[in-house]
Amino acid sequence: MRLQWIFILVLTALIGVGSALPAWAGEPITATFWYSYGGKVRQVTEDMVKKFNSSQTKYRIDGSFQGDYFQALAKIRAAITTKTAPTIFHVIGEAMPDLWQGGMFENLEPYVKSTGVKTEEFVQPLSQHGYFDYFGKSVPLFAIPFNRSMPVMYYNKDMLDAKGVKVPTSWDELRDAAAKLTVREGNDVKTWGFEVPVDWWFWHGLLYQAGGSLLSADGKKAAFRQKGGEALQYWVDMVNKQKIMKRPGGKDYNAWEVTNTDFITQKAAMIFTSTAFVNYLTENVKFKMGTAFLPKKEKFAAPTGGTFFVMIKDATPAQKEAGWAFIKWMSEPAQAIYWSQNTGYICTSEPAIKSAEMQKFYRDNPNYHVAYEQLKYAQRMPFTPALIRIQREAIQPNLEAPVIGLKTVDETMAAAEKVANDILAGK
Amino acid sequence: MRRQTLLGYALILPSMAFFSAFYIYPVVYSFYLSFFTWDMLQPKRFIGLTNYRELLEAAEFREVLGNTLAYSVGVVVLAMGIGLALALLLNNRTALSSLFQACIFTSYIVSWVAVSLLWIWMLDPQYGLVNYVAGFLGVPPVDWLGNHRLALWSLVGVTVWKVIGYPMIIFLAGLQNISQDYYEAASLDGASAWHQFRYITWPLLAPTTVFLFITLTIATFQGFDIVNIMTQGGPVHATSIYVFYIYEQAFHYFRIGRASAAVIICFGLILALTYAQHRLFRRNVHYTQVG
Repeated sequence: MRLQWIFILVLTALIGVGSALPAWAGEPITATFWYSYGGKVRQVTEDMVKKFNSSQTKYRIDGSFQGDYFQALAKIRAAITTKTAPTIFHVIGEAMPDLWQGGMFENLEPYVKSTGVKTEEFVQPLSQHGYFDYFGKSVPLFAIPFNRSMPVMYYNKDMLDAKGVKVPTSWDELRDAAAKLTVREGNDVKTWGFEVPVDWWFWHGLLYQAGGSLLSADGKKAAFRQKGGEALQYWVDMVNKQKIMKRPGGKDYNAWEVTNTDFITQKAAMIFTSTAFVNYLTENVKFKMGTAFLPKKEKFAAPTGGTFFVMIKDATPAQKEAGWAFIKWMSEPAQAIYWSQNTGYICTSEPAIKSAEMQKFYRDNPNYHVAYEQLKYAQRMPFTPALIRIQREAIQPNLEAPVIGLKTVDETMAAAEKVANDILAGK
Repeated sequence: MRRQTLLGYALILPSMAFFSAFYIYPVVYSFYLSFFTWDMLQPKRFIGLTNYRELLEAAEFREVLGNTLAYSVGVVVLAMGIGLALALLLNNRTALSSLFQACIFTSYIVSWVAVSLLWIWMLDPQYGLVNYVAGFLGVPPVDWLGNHRLALWSLVGVTVWKVIGYPMIIFLAGLQNISQDYYEAASLDGASAWHQFRYITWPLLAPTTVFLFITLTIATFQGFDIVNIMTQGGPVHATSIYVFYIYEQAFHYFRIGRASAAVIICFGLILALTYAQHRLFRRNVHYTQVG
């Protein structure tokens, strides 16, 4: 009996000492940073965190990987509820209005003012105020652009040249080019002319190219039914009628990976994917690769994507100070250049883009510049908490059904419209 | 006596505390949450039974129930059938048989994540081993996970491959509990192998069969990792099974109340199922006293 008690006492004492170890005097002020990158981009991020930590002694950033964007979104909510959230993290634009309305983010305007950050030097379509349509409301700055991207078209130049196909600039040209580039052997397709993940982001681009819009002018009703249907029908026909487009399997980012792999292994001649993969694809393809604007229908258009830095309101002032120091450092031209050159994300700093270094880089690597040029056709996203739900519940889960042949495009868009309007009505 | 009772309670206290904190409390709290709408950001709002009503009215929820049932029946029937066949084949004490048992059991102790990732590659329509081998037999390439009619059954196949070691081992233990005397007596009376199985093995295995049936059914109702990793419920909702649906509602859509209501319905379903299985089999199970 006595032995047991001694054992329990010792154990309790050990645990107590372990958790109450005092912080060392003179420790740097530490902020935690959650990020959501895989592969090459994660490496670049981790290198930059290390660089920041060794570049000065006052602050320290503890970075940790939290799964893909959507897994990280789930963790962040759970962490807010349990008061274990990080100081800073980066979040996809579509999720920001909802999280802002939920009171999660720190207003960054005082930080910008007190540290003299020039927000007008951010590439405007990539900045928070350039990304959102606020419907006339005034919303303070709470997000700093970081890994910002756009979808672009990648093509296998060798294949296009071999067949004498010009780089397509319109929907019709893309369809014709894909037909010419598709190679069949009996019932097998050896090369697909075109491939794109059946995904919200690309669909959103097509919706605006067709002259449509996601929501009505006041942001209160869904407005995508007809033009969104045209966009989807374009894919459905290429997959099922002309059989010149491959629907990559897998949901969310799995389908993106399949698309990249098919392009690298020359199973697909042209693909749409994020400019964020320019670096990765350039390093892995064994053919001449080109990038171009997404083709137009009524007009050129493409959404921007990727994430912004945000700060959690619940963090302590010391943590916020360290977190802001890191965000500020990351947006400086030197880091913006390093980040963009090593990943393919669009450089977010105008002075960086105008620098001699970046201009030379663009001349040597024109594929990195296409997305920046395409920014003049960037669409804004409606600033409504419903945005992320419309993406995740109304659009994304419905796009695949007509491509597989389970439903017609009309049925799909009608259902999506109903879900979107329910969400907008607060259901 | 009293001291001893107290000590007994003291000794189970740690595991009871663990059980209460991680099993009982979450179920009770889910029950509470199921009457609210909550997105983990804004304050909770009481909405009574709305979550339950919306769930039962949703076509997707019925689809998910159907998928779960198909997955469960598929896995339980195949795993038990093949597991029993393997157990009968390997029910001897040779070294080769032990080797086979070990090999087959290995997949059971490998993590779901590893198995799922492995099979994503094996089933890849273009680069996968399965289609490669099938190609030699003249079978055209199949999109195992991308075809909405096939995807769920591909997952059933992978699950059976993964868990098959479990029913095999349990059946083997059951078989080795049956006294050889019965078989000797039966063969002296001229019973064929089939008759020996039908009238000795099968009835005396009944407790094992019931045990496996219940545990496998519950396990399949709790299936999650394989779907989350291999298909994320797609294409469309073809492989969305119950626990994945709960996860999706909670952590993709942040509809915590609706997810909680689904948890409670699942809890009720498994409870009813277990009760029904107990009732059904109690009458037909022959317990045997060996030795």
